[in-house]
Amino acid sequence: MNPLQDADPLQSPQYSNSESSLVLPKIRASPVASLASLPYRRSNPSLSSLFASTASILPKSRSGSVTPTAPLVAGSVFSPGATHGAASLPSTPQGSQPADEARTLILRSFVPHVGVFASADTDELVRQKGLSGGFVELVRPFGECVHGKVTIRDSIGASRSWDDFGIRFTGLRDGIGVPPGGTRRSTDSRPGTANGYRSSTEGSDAAWLRVGGDVRSIEEVVDRHLAYAEEQSGPTDYLNHKQNTAETPIATSPFYALYLRKLLSSLPMAPHETFSHPVACVLAISSRSPSPIEELRRLYTATSTGDQRLPHWVNNEFLRYYVLVHDEDHDDISKSTSLFEQMKRHFGLHCHLLRLRTNQCVSSDEDCIRIPTCEWISASEELAEIHRRETAEDISDPNIYLHESDAAALRTFVRELTTQSIVPVMERLIATWNEQVASRRRGISGRFMSLSKKWSPFSSSRTSSSPTSGNPSNSNYDSLQGFYRPDSPEATMRKLADYAFMLRDFKLASSVYDLLRTDFNTDKAWKHYAAANEMCAIATLMTPSNLSSKSRTENVDQMLESASYSFLSRCGAPFYALRTLAMGLELLKLRGSSAADDAARWATKALEMRVVGPVGEALFTERVSACYASRKGTGSMSWGSRRRKAAFWAVLAADSWVKLEKGVQAEKCLNEAGRLYGVDADGAMDLPFEGMRIFMQALGETVRALRRARRGYDRAREEREEDEETLAEEEMVEEISETLDRRPHRKSLVGVGAGPMGPLDTPLSPLRSAEDEPRFKDDQFE
Amino acid sequence: MSYYFTIIGTKDNPIFEHEFGTSKQGGDGVARFREEARHMNQFIAHASLDIVEEVQWASGQMYLKLLDRFPPATYISGFITANNVKFLLLTCPSDSAPSRSSITSAASARSSSYPSSATYNPTAPATEEAVKSFFYEVYDAWLKTLMSPFYHINTPIGSPVFRSRVAAAAKKYL
Repeated sequence: MNPLQDADPLQSPQYSNSESSLVLPKIRASPVASLASLPYRRSNPSLSSLFASTASILPKSRSGSVTPTAPLVAGSVFSPGATHGAASLPSTPQGSQPADEARTLILRSFVPHVGVFASADTDELVRQKGLSGGFVELVRPFGECVHGKVTIRDSIGASRSWDDFGIRFTGLRDGIGVPPGGTRRSTDSRPGTANGYRSSTEGSDAAWLRVGGDVRSIEEVVDRHLAYAEEQSGPTDYLNHKQNTAETPIATSPFYALYLRKLLSSLPMAPHETFSHPVACVLAISSRSPSPIEELRRLYTATSTGDQRLPHWVNNEFLRYYVLVHDEDHDDISKSTSLFEQMKRHFGLHCHLLRLRTNQCVSSDEDCIRIPTCEWISASEELAEIHRRETAEDISDPNIYLHESDAAALRTFVRELTTQSIVPVMERLIATWNEQVASRRRGISGRFMSLSKKWSPFSSSRTSSSPTSGNPSNSNYDSLQGFYRPDSPEATMRKLADYAFMLRDFKLASSVYDLLRTDFNTDKAWKHYAAANEMCAIATLMTPSNLSSKSRTENVDQMLESASYSFLSRCGAPFYALRTLAMGLELLKLRGSSAADDAARWATKALEMRVVGPVGEALFTERVSACYASRKGTGSMSWGSRRRKAAFWAVLAADSWVKLEKGVQAEKCLNEAGRLYGVDADGAMDLPFEGMRIFMQALGETVRALRRARRGYDRAREEREEDEETLAEEEMVEEISETLDRRPHRKSLVGVGAGPMGPLDTPLSPLRSAEDEPRFKDDQFE
Repeated sequence: MSYYFTIIGTKDNPIFEHEFGTSKQGGDGVARFREEARHMNQFIAHASLDIVEEVQWASGQMYLKLLDRFPPATYISGFITANNVKFLLLTCPSDSAPSRSSITSAASARSSSYPSSATYNPTAPATEEAVKSFFYEVYDAWLKTLMSPFYHINTPIGSPVFRSRVAAAAKKYL
């Protein structure tokens, strides 16, 4: 079934079984780390597996290729594609292939969304397996990366296979939930409480949790990850100190990657873009149902006219996919097979029989795998999960295990759904729309008039005869409610472009977006206009071909400019503005050194527009520095490099981190700045400007103070638990590490005497106890 | 409007620094930088050397015009002499000095004492001409300092005469 699993000895199920128990010993493996990782409630294994996505900066994951972090193991068991995908995500070991990271991220974030709507008994069946979220939660992790290659034909008929294609399973109405802040009001009149079929305890909560697009919760998640990293990094960091500075500086910080990923996760459903509109809807019933066909009909009606009907700006003619979940442990397969035959007769090809066992699987079972962690859950959902695990009293294993046969069945289901239904349907729709709508618009006469003026193959009668509400001009745009009807040519074009983007046909996508830009502009549909500009720029940059720098500066810059301006000033949608800028800058950065300036400019712009919070500010400042640093100069003097600018922004980033009291990050930035300025990070002796020198020194002092405070914190913990001897030992190790950081040779430490030891005398309460000893220890050491 | 003027030597070392305010539109010629601007100005000036090194090959002029800007509102103009000494002039139209906090805190400097600060356009011909004249005047003074037998190249200029001549040029043009 899964030959690749055998290929890699590290991926045996047994290994993943013991994953959670491995986390702690792994930290303890390093002699110094063992001192820090004493029992502490918040660092329980379940929590650390959550933070694993950014844990690559932590020494424990670097220490070997066997990374016991959740996504990697889960992904590798699950499919070869996942390993590939996961490797390009933040859990990448440093600098393996940072070049394409952002591109992969964007590729993997704009994927077809599939709504899931399961009958009550199906959800109940899944809940028996231990998943409280019902059927969606069961299939969701498996959709993130479709097993095996997916071949997609583009508009000119060329086929291309993708390893990392995925689909996103969501609850059907998840995307329109209103976050608690109430920042976004959907035009839908019914709030998202109508989830009668999902468990009533979770229903309304989960609905808004699964919506992304909230910058504040993104900030908070990243902040939690940062806090965790700070905590974990304790005294170990001096072991890797040199290694850290020697690393390639351009590697993306895992926290920035996390920020980006959360920014692109669970896009909210909105009228102006159709990425999160369902491409298909999975209707699931179980073999327990007494009248299955009736049940399916009921589900169908609920999605098309009933209480699961999406708001009317969503095209409701998406594909329905019928799934029969068979209970292997309790029900009769022959009955289910005959039922399935009946379903096929009724509903045609888009059916699947999913055979699952309902007995709960425990980690000690023989053929079980851990259910993979979702990478693309929204920030608020991840936050809720972190919170739940933190407050959980027991540190029992929160992971849910599945039988291998179940996982295989789910993989097959997702693969079949994708390759046999979703992709072909999308390809067909793209071809149809391209022919019927877009090509007319592109023709001679189409160039001179907008779509709504003349060509409306789907609704020609409507525009001419019925003057719809709220559009005095002759356009399809409903300016009162702010959307195009889903059957209007503009909406169809937008859908065409989005589908093409999701199927990675960027040429077609960018050309259609380009057409739409002008139409939306004439209609003054600003949000649509901004979104079209955004995606046009992104699609242009995603096209693998080379862009001349002229067309880049002329077109892409202008599109990014008007997109960010319209989103922020005209529509008051800072999230989208931030998304535009973040994607734009990342893709520009990939375009080599000539575009790095532009990338840095957009990052600066994101800071300037104040669309990011404090954490984002620090991350983006760091990013500006990275953009400038990636610009290489020419010649022996490297004319045209941006060394000083990169260093300057690194200093600014360090300053921001210090303000957030994130010592580890600040130190990283400061070291980077020192490297770029060509001075010793701590000495800062050679900076010509006095003000700069003083500032760098002050910053260095603060960073060191933060580091000491962190250690003091560790020590306070030690003191509670450990006896005096270990404490003294550790003190010694750390005292030296402190000075080693500052001076390359121990000799100089002795020579200088009290000078560099000065800052150590600060009365820092936990240090107090051991403070009398350093001089003695130094003697001993020398 | 506040200005920070610096002369930077061939090894990125500062030779001369001077802060002043505008004397036009009723300005009193006193710089109104915040406390943290002291090092920020130096950082910004130092960072824009990257741009100078790029632009110097593209233009045949000594006056390099507007080189760079730093958000929210700091503009850097440059001038390069024959022996690779750079003159940099930082212009802060509003009194909110170039600081990171002014990026995050909303535009606090609405109560600017200079009416022109909101409408300052660094690429307007009049502005460019004024900056150019200032640079050339300073250049003259600098050449004379250079001819002094007691001055060694690439060392800080301590001459009070030079400083007063820079101040006079600033008062005259900016």
